[in-house]
Amino acid sequence: MTFGFGLGLRTQHYNDFLDAPQPVDWLEVISDNYMVDGGKPLAILDRIRADYPMAMHGVSLSIGAINGLDTDYLNRLKVLEQRIEPMWVSDHLCWTGAHGRKLHDLMPLPFTHEALQVIERNVYQAQEALQRPLVLENVSSYVEFTTSEMTEWEFLTEICQATGCKLLLDINNIYVSAFNHGFSPSDFISGVPVDSVIQFHLAGHQDNGNHLIDTHDHPVCDGVWGLYQQALKHFGDVAIMVERDDKIPPLSELLAELGTARALADKVLNPKVAV
Amino acid sequence: MNLQELQTNFQDIVLNAECVGANWVSKSAQGLSAQDRLAIYHNAYRVRLIDVLLDTFEHTATYLGDDWFHQLASAYVQSHNSTHNNIGMYGQAFPLFLAEQLPHDREVSELALMDWKLRRAFDGAENTIMTQNHLQQIASGERQVSSLLPVATLSISTHHFNTLDIWHAINQDEHPPVVEQLPQPVDVLIWRKGHSPHFRSLSTIEASAITCVCSGHTMDAIGAALEKDFPDIDAATEFGLMLHRWIDDRLLAIDG
Repeated sequence: MTFGFGLGLRTQHYNDFLDAPQPVDWLEVISDNYMVDGGKPLAILDRIRADYPMAMHGVSLSIGAINGLDTDYLNRLKVLEQRIEPMWVSDHLCWTGAHGRKLHDLMPLPFTHEALQVIERNVYQAQEALQRPLVLENVSSYVEFTTSEMTEWEFLTEICQATGCKLLLDINNIYVSAFNHGFSPSDFISGVPVDSVIQFHLAGHQDNGNHLIDTHDHPVCDGVWGLYQQALKHFGDVAIMVERDDKIPPLSELLAELGTARALADKVLNPKVAV
Repeated sequence: MNLQELQTNFQDIVLNAECVGANWVSKSAQGLSAQDRLAIYHNAYRVRLIDVLLDTFEHTATYLGDDWFHQLASAYVQSHNSTHNNIGMYGQAFPLFLAEQLPHDREVSELALMDWKLRRAFDGAENTIMTQNHLQQIASGERQVSSLLPVATLSISTHHFNTLDIWHAINQDEHPPVVEQLPQPVDVLIWRKGHSPHFRSLSTIEASAITCVCSGHTMDAIGAALEKDFPDIDAATEFGLMLHRWIDDRLLAIDG
């Protein structure tokens, strides 16, 4: 099934979407922004949802939480899921706090068998609550752990095979982590099972010379566009999205970036046959 | 080191004032030390929470100026861990923190509490709003209600300073007036009307009546309380006028 090309819905673009149809196939919403009791955010969400398919993308599920998922959060997520009826529900392969504290960040996990057990238990809990496969996104990271027992792509593969969950591959995050940790981004791409990936994120980062930071406040760079084409060749037709979280430009700029993503996908997936 | 120990240790490094290295971090491909890499998480945590405080307490930040607000926000972040999944709730204790930190500038915490309540009203719970039709049904006995129900976003705070004037000036990009203590404290009502948070000051009798509504008193009990507390006013007429104004302001909810 072809999902096409989407954008992350941001408050700065509400009026663009309310005033006129926009050339996107779907929108991704940050679940946490709409897990509220009422008011304008939900009212606008309902109006835009009437015109566009949506995917839900969260930041606080904390799938790597050692003590299991927060059931209150999960219940609120379920309420929103029932309201939006999204294409899928995604969050990040990370933990976001321990002992009741919240770090509001996507904290990296060690790639260990113990972490696999914790994540698999938590994915089952989420999938049981949501009654649908969960979608997990790889995060950018700035540390690796001495305790890790496998590569990140082996870790992702194990989780998918054990739980049936799907993957949202953030191409920029692969690029950032590969630079920071010195692995080959191509190895990552080729190491992930083709049928487990249903969505790509494309985003920008900040280059600090000896490390990259996943700021999502820049246009997609040439290196990420290159990796995107490799990923298209490997995974084929998946849902593709440009994600910008800070220094949000006018919608037209993001639509132009999405146009580049479309053109590259067309070139890779539908090459002209030479006559 | 197991996963629990690692998460606990990592979290401690992020939350502690000084960032340190850790021997469970692998050597960097780019030659960056463990401490420098952990510092990325340490800094990001503070930047993110201070940004949330800036967003939530926009008028307070303008009133204090960038440097002073940043200094206070940094101290708050270091002394208050976040316990809410919703990062927007992080500033809940910030007005009280400002009151403790600035005991001689109490208008600052009043302004912060106003910023906080307006933000909470923005995405607070929905209600079915009471209309004039509902009121007529109640008056005719067609609809039975034991007490009036305030909308979920309604709150009252007591102001001792000219905070409303300060808030209005900042909101209009004007220079705020010099702070003044009010001759008498004034109650300020905050709620959401449509999609927009609203506020207005209350007369003594209206503040008393709305407090009764929030306490779940019956309409008869509210009328009786007003007659007792305001013997020089035609309390019944005043209560009727207030009821119509509350309905126009969408302050009252109705069950179902």
